[in-house]
Amino acid sequence: MRKRLRIVHWTTVLIAVVFVFALGWYGIPARGQMAGVTLYISGDTNIQEMFDKDLLPLFERETSVKTKMVFLEHGQGAEAIVAKIIAAKRTGQQTDVDLYETQPTFIAAGASEGIWTKITKDNVANASKVDYNRPEVLVSNGFGIPYRGSSVVLAYNSKYVKTPPRTYDEILAWIKQNPGKFTYCDPQTCGSGAAFLYVALYKYAKAEDFSGLTYDQAKTAAWEPALQLLRSLKPNIYNNGFYPNGNVAVLQLLGRENIYMAPVWSDQGVSYLDQGLLPKDIKLVQVTPPFTGGDSAIAIPVHAEHQASGLMFLNWLLTSKAQTIVVNKLAGYPGIDWKYMPKDVRDKFAGIAQNFSPLPNAKYQADAKRLWQEKVAGSGQ
Amino acid sequence: MRSTTREGVTGLALVLPPFFLLIFFILVPAAQAVLETLRVERSGQIVYSLARYVEMFHTISLRRSVGFTVMVTLASVAVTFVLAYALALYLRFSRGWVSTLLGALFIIPLFIPTVIASFAMVTFLEHHGYIATLLHYVGVEDTPSLVFNATGIVLTEVWASIPFATLVLLAGLQGIDDALIDSARDVGAGALRTFLAVVLPLNAVATIITMSLLFIGILGSFTIPYLVGGNAPQMMSVVMTNYFTNYLRPDISVSLAALSFVIAGLAGAAYVAGVSRRERGAV
Repeated sequence: MRKRLRIVHWTTVLIAVVFVFALGWYGIPARGQMAGVTLYISGDTNIQEMFDKDLLPLFERETSVKTKMVFLEHGQGAEAIVAKIIAAKRTGQQTDVDLYETQPTFIAAGASEGIWTKITKDNVANASKVDYNRPEVLVSNGFGIPYRGSSVVLAYNSKYVKTPPRTYDEILAWIKQNPGKFTYCDPQTCGSGAAFLYVALYKYAKAEDFSGLTYDQAKTAAWEPALQLLRSLKPNIYNNGFYPNGNVAVLQLLGRENIYMAPVWSDQGVSYLDQGLLPKDIKLVQVTPPFTGGDSAIAIPVHAEHQASGLMFLNWLLTSKAQTIVVNKLAGYPGIDWKYMPKDVRDKFAGIAQNFSPLPNAKYQADAKRLWQEKVAGSGQ
Repeated sequence: MRSTTREGVTGLALVLPPFFLLIFFILVPAAQAVLETLRVERSGQIVYSLARYVEMFHTISLRRSVGFTVMVTLASVAVTFVLAYALALYLRFSRGWVSTLLGALFIIPLFIPTVIASFAMVTFLEHHGYIATLLHYVGVEDTPSLVFNATGIVLTEVWASIPFATLVLLAGLQGIDDALIDSARDVGAGALRTFLAVVLPLNAVATIITMSLLFIGILGSFTIPYLVGGNAPQMMSVVMTNYFTNYLRPDISVSLAALSFVIAGLAGAAYVAGVSRRERGAV
């Protein structure tokens, strides 16, 4: 008798658990149906936080359209999302990706399949404020719209560097005159070191040859003098040719005054200065030719389930109000032209508020990093 | 007779799944990968050639990386071996609370994930780290670079390998009969003589097993060289990953892997020789 009671008891518990789980399973798609727009966003945690805490609540308040964000941390799985959109297109289905924010190269990858909506001022009014010659637009084959950006700039310690270099060549001269006081991070561990490398390559070869979609390995032969140049700098680099791993390691060396000058990301430099992690003597400046920059872009699938809401969100994101939030949160560049930004924002970023050089495409980037490892770092003294 | 047949069939059935796993998931893909490294496209035709290996050895950074990997591995094995042997001897022949305490303490690194250990070593050894601070107090200003180079990798590998090496060596030492050592003492052999003439030869199998497994383990380790190593030269595992993911040259990466197969194969041969010697000894 008692045993049977216990069985009844456990069965009740089991049913309850199953019921709760079923509700949970059922509840997830149910919420998805309510959501007005599903946004696929990629980036670091600061991007996630900006969307979660600032942009999405404000958008929902202003437009009363519900949003749902799928976040791809550090862009993980970015290619799979493109594949998923392509698969939906091929099978004639709609996709739940209403807006995709990713690296321009991934957008370019789907361009030939015709999965993206062409964005013009007709479907997104604020697109008229965007410079369509930005690398993000060009690299994404015209289908990606930038909404944030950052560029690598030169950081120097004004206590020790009285006349900062204004051109890339002046940086090179400064390094030779001040041995051990400059470094850049290993290009494969960080973008700021990669920018230093790319601008060296562009010194001997046109940037436009490498930033487009075409790839021809033979063209990399033009980089040889640049690699020799970087190799010749090695004895004058901090600690006899020590290239730290990652952007943060360089900022720390600047902070401890182990080095006086280095390329850094504009957004990281500004936020480190804001937090007091860098001494006030550190100044950020862009040089000529400028360091590379560029960031992610937004594309909207042609067969998105809620395409109108996606376009509406993009238009909202390009208003100067939303762009001011982006610029302040990320200490980066706006997606729209600087001239459409409020004056106080422009003043804050005066030193770096200009354009940047385009990044080489993904294949050339891979070659450049490999050749740097083979011919600069790994070649011995 | 019938029962032995049935036993044989049961045994075979038990052995088959891992055997097929080994064939289809390890040996076949590995063989395919090695074949792939030899297949080169030349004017539209696929031919077999050693071109990739030639390219590999013409690239200074790769050549240096191979040499560096072997040197770092050998150094780590040597240092680990000396320290672990000393520890194992102490634990085997010493009685008392210090020995019991040490016996419990030395296995701790076995339970600490390599990622955490590597980061701990970096903060410990870096330019303004713990060691540098300690040395500063005793008046040494110019601390040598202990991390982001070969020294850092060797120190961390040694730290992580000692427990395993000590455990295997200790197991070997415990198999040596006390009577043998006592009789060596009785005929007047000193500690060193006893060690060289009795302990070392009797423990040779455990020694070979430890050294070869350590060698293979350190040769293929990734986390430690990735986190504690420098920009250049890098260990082969790190270089392979870079060529595979960052430089979009998986062919070079697989060729490097094939080369590391060969190097590990040498250590594997020593292991097999050691084990079969033990089995022959047991018969």
